[in-house]
Amino acid sequence: MSLAHAPAAARPSLWPAAAGRVLAGVALLGAVALLPWLSGADPARTVLRARSADQNPTPSELAAVRGQLGLDEGPLVHLAHWLGGLPGGDAGVSWVSGAPVMPQVGTALSVSLTLMLGAFGVTVLVAGLVCARTVFLGSRRRLRQDRAGTTAAVLASLPKFLLASVLATVCGVGWGWFPSSGWEGPQSMVLPSLALGIPSGAMLGGMLGQALPAAFHEPWARTAYAIGLPPGHIARDGLRRTLPGILPQLLPTVVALVGGAVSVEKIFNIPGLGRLALEAAVAQDLPVLQTATLALVLLGVAAGMLIRALRHALLGRPLRDGALPALHRPPLTVPRSLRWVTTACALLLLALVTAGLLRDPLQVDTAARLLSPSLEHPLGTDALGRDLLARLGHGALRTAGVALAVTAVSAAIGLLLGMTPRASAGPTEVASTLPAVLAGLLIAGVTGPSVWGAACAVCVVGWSPYAAQTAALLEQERASGHIAASVALGAGRLHLLRRHLLPAVVPALLRNALLRLPTTVLVLASLGFLGLGEQPPTPEWGRLLSENQPYAELAPWTVLGPAAALVVLSVLAVTGSVLGRRNGA
Amino acid sequence: MLASPIKPEPGRSGQPDRSTTGSDMRTTSRGLIAALALTPLLAGCFAPGDSDAGAASGGRLRVALAVPPVRALSPYSNDATVLSKLSVAEGLTALDKNGTAEPALAKSWKQDGATTWTFELRKAEFQDGTELTAQAVVDALDHAGTAKPKPRVLSDVSLTAKAEDADTVTLTTTSPDPVLPLRLASPALAILSAKAYAKDGAVSPVGAGTGPFEITRLNGKTKATLDRFDGYWGGKAKAPGIDVSWVADGTARANALRGGEADIAEWIPTAQAKLLDKKTRHEVPSVRTDSLILNTGSGLFTDAGLRAAAREAVDGSALVDSVFGGYADPAQGLFGPAVPWAADKRAEVTGRTKAATAAEVKTGTKGRTLRLATYTNRAELPEAAAVLQQQLERAGFTVKQDVREYTQMEGDLLAGKYDALVFSRVTLLDTGDAVDYLASDFTSEGVYNIAGLKNASVDKAIRAAAAERDTGSRQEKIMRAEAEILRTDAVVPLVHEQAVQGVAADVEGVILDPRERSLIDVDTHLK
Repeated sequence: MSLAHAPAAARPSLWPAAAGRVLAGVALLGAVALLPWLSGADPARTVLRARSADQNPTPSELAAVRGQLGLDEGPLVHLAHWLGGLPGGDAGVSWVSGAPVMPQVGTALSVSLTLMLGAFGVTVLVAGLVCARTVFLGSRRRLRQDRAGTTAAVLASLPKFLLASVLATVCGVGWGWFPSSGWEGPQSMVLPSLALGIPSGAMLGGMLGQALPAAFHEPWARTAYAIGLPPGHIARDGLRRTLPGILPQLLPTVVALVGGAVSVEKIFNIPGLGRLALEAAVAQDLPVLQTATLALVLLGVAAGMLIRALRHALLGRPLRDGALPALHRPPLTVPRSLRWVTTACALLLLALVTAGLLRDPLQVDTAARLLSPSLEHPLGTDALGRDLLARLGHGALRTAGVALAVTAVSAAIGLLLGMTPRASAGPTEVASTLPAVLAGLLIAGVTGPSVWGAACAVCVVGWSPYAAQTAALLEQERASGHIAASVALGAGRLHLLRRHLLPAVVPALLRNALLRLPTTVLVLASLGFLGLGEQPPTPEWGRLLSENQPYAELAPWTVLGPAAALVVLSVLAVTGSVLGRRNGA
Repeated sequence: MLASPIKPEPGRSGQPDRSTTGSDMRTTSRGLIAALALTPLLAGCFAPGDSDAGAASGGRLRVALAVPPVRALSPYSNDATVLSKLSVAEGLTALDKNGTAEPALAKSWKQDGATTWTFELRKAEFQDGTELTAQAVVDALDHAGTAKPKPRVLSDVSLTAKAEDADTVTLTTTSPDPVLPLRLASPALAILSAKAYAKDGAVSPVGAGTGPFEITRLNGKTKATLDRFDGYWGGKAKAPGIDVSWVADGTARANALRGGEADIAEWIPTAQAKLLDKKTRHEVPSVRTDSLILNTGSGLFTDAGLRAAAREAVDGSALVDSVFGGYADPAQGLFGPAVPWAADKRAEVTGRTKAATAAEVKTGTKGRTLRLATYTNRAELPEAAAVLQQQLERAGFTVKQDVREYTQMEGDLLAGKYDALVFSRVTLLDTGDAVDYLASDFTSEGVYNIAGLKNASVDKAIRAAAAERDTGSRQEKIMRAEAEILRTDAVVPLVHEQAVQGVAADVEGVILDPRERSLIDVDTHLK
């Protein structure tokens, strides 16, 4: 860890960053190449299943497949063969289809990139709307009250697959504005981009909204206001001051959608890279999986370097010269409504848990299926006649507990790794674009089905947003004058860390972590099909949402209850943290 | 008031500390953003859809199929059924409603001896313009026989084909095969023209079938275009063509039909069926039976009394109106209403073990939990498992579920690492004959014997059915084998599934096939 202020003139060596990228990529590709041998599931069997579901897995058929694929040669020969073909643009042929891999992955990648760009557009729009009020008031020096970010928290906690289902049904089927599925032209992009972009935009907007008041509080803004510069310019400069801290989040939030939008790709029937990689991983179709992973790794590294260049362009010379003032949040009053919102959310959750715990969450009653809310079942029943209130209540502690623990561990790992920004840049970029499902498959391969597997898998990829954020904020912080002053006054590394660096990073990190809490719940549940996490029928919010998703239109209350609970939890976490900060300050 | 000189934004002109680097960078980033925004246009990566081939384009049928092609529609894979569903390719025979063989490319056949059959071909033409000859048939069947892995339909028989003259083919089997004409109806044994078979073993049916529709373009795993083949021996198809899109997600398929983007959507999930207009919803009894397999080989259910207790505890009819939303029939045995002869020939199950009482179950399990497995690939199964768990717990068992994706657990299933499995199985496989399913799933040496059943009288009954040549007696023997299997309580049938096919109100002549092998033929068309 080099916490000390780097001398402005010395150019940092590029080697650690390059080595980190190469090592991270190689490690991931190596793990993927070993998947069939790690998982203990015979690839001959999975490939045979994928080709022909009804085929009996007789020893002779399995031997035929094994011979065809050359499985007995072992992983190294395969990896070497695959690597050998790459320079010539040949990534081998798919084990399942026998077709060349490169065109498949190329098409899927371009589809996913296009979708990602659409989602990026929506993200920018939504993020802009979320912090529009702060920008408007801040640029006019009328920012008196702190914003809790309730809107951002609500939007960020909307499950993407639910949003996708609703959009497909309402705008696709109901109103017929856009095609409900398929990928046939720009009009097919609209709904999936919205489903992916709204939560992402709210998340980024929420983080930006928290950073902006500090920028508008800086002396330049006061001066600019005093000499009568138009608010538009002050707003632009304020954004330019805060965006570099948020930009790295684009990688795990938006770029990661290239491989990580499987549920939305399924709902809209988009032939994207996420689905291709998942299918290949399930069938253990190594050439396809390796090539898709390589594409994701390269994309992550490229996007990471692009974002880094953009950041440096925005911050400009002050960053290099160590002349960047630290951002300090102004003392803003907390709106009274915030207390009300927090109390209401807390009471609501408490009531939900108490009422739910008094009921039986596992009682199946096939006669009482999909009942709408009534006195007997205040939140209605699910497709098996189980009481949704009971399931929500019983699932609350487990869901919130596991999600908080996973988030805390991820944030801690991210914080630690983010402190060595050059070495961790590569692993961060690679982990950012790695779909959690792939991590889950690798974990499931090693551990088999396990309760802790899901949490491990999410931690394996979940730290990247925090590492990216920590690295970015620390870089800015180290470039600030007061660190140089502290060092000059003889401050040790620990002192710097405790007094200057951590206080600059932790509040923003906390905000990020809390906004990501609902996503964590959903990602944890999405690994259930690998046997990772609690097995059904254990109630858990993420599972409630996914198991009731098919009934979203027939019985909307089956998904509204869990979705609302997730929103309430998220709002409580975010507003509670704002209140806590107030009281702590 | 001081303007900070180290403000990151260099600001507008007139400010003294303007840094030129900053504004240079700004133009660069603008250029970048512009480049990014243009990418979608440059990439041109939308599926080249036939936007002009929509509803208005003269009666072409738009079909949403469920299972995307895995091997470019090769007949020796999952994709084979697509060829028969869309009437692209045909075999020598076809199956009629009752599951008996009827003429297709062969206009007649006769059995010359125990192992020899002669097939007379009709005059037909391949879609690439070549004639159907005996040699073409021989070549096609030889390719199927040497395909690796072997198609399921040929797993227990070896075929030798020989061209006698231009339109006569003799088929010889190594051992007597009473169901050969049924076998030949399998889409895996479709006859394709010579150009379909590549040297490396790949098979492409594009433009190589004999059916009324010809595949003109296959676009990866998303779309295919089919045009009418005017040289079809059975007359011209009424529809000018078919536009196929593969939509793996059931909700998306239902949405495509409801949104008017598809005329036919197969396999609507039961959760979505109620959302469809009544006129567009067609249920077909399916040959798929869902059952609870009990592991007789190891663990809890090696005890016949406990198996009987589980059989008594489990009530599949409770699933019909709940999990299956009414789209299923309560189980009558292994074979349901989609197997037309099963009900009349069903043999009574006698001499079953007496079920253990709840108290006996408690002591008999010796504190062990019942590992109840099922897989997520069929949405109804995890729900059914939740219902069964409660039923089994009432009978005194302690149940723990293990629910995963099928390929994730197949190894564990075959290794017997579970006690009970909620399982969905197609009971009439390629051959249209049921013996194959019974032999692979329930005989001692069966390769798919998940129940771990090793029972001499079951083996004997299945062998007897396999050897029987006369169709009627064969069916009787199959039903006797069914009774033998049920007596062991290795399998508890739960429900017979129904498939829900979504067909728009203006489509006529869609075939609702229990075996899921036909869908569109010459007569299917838009009104």
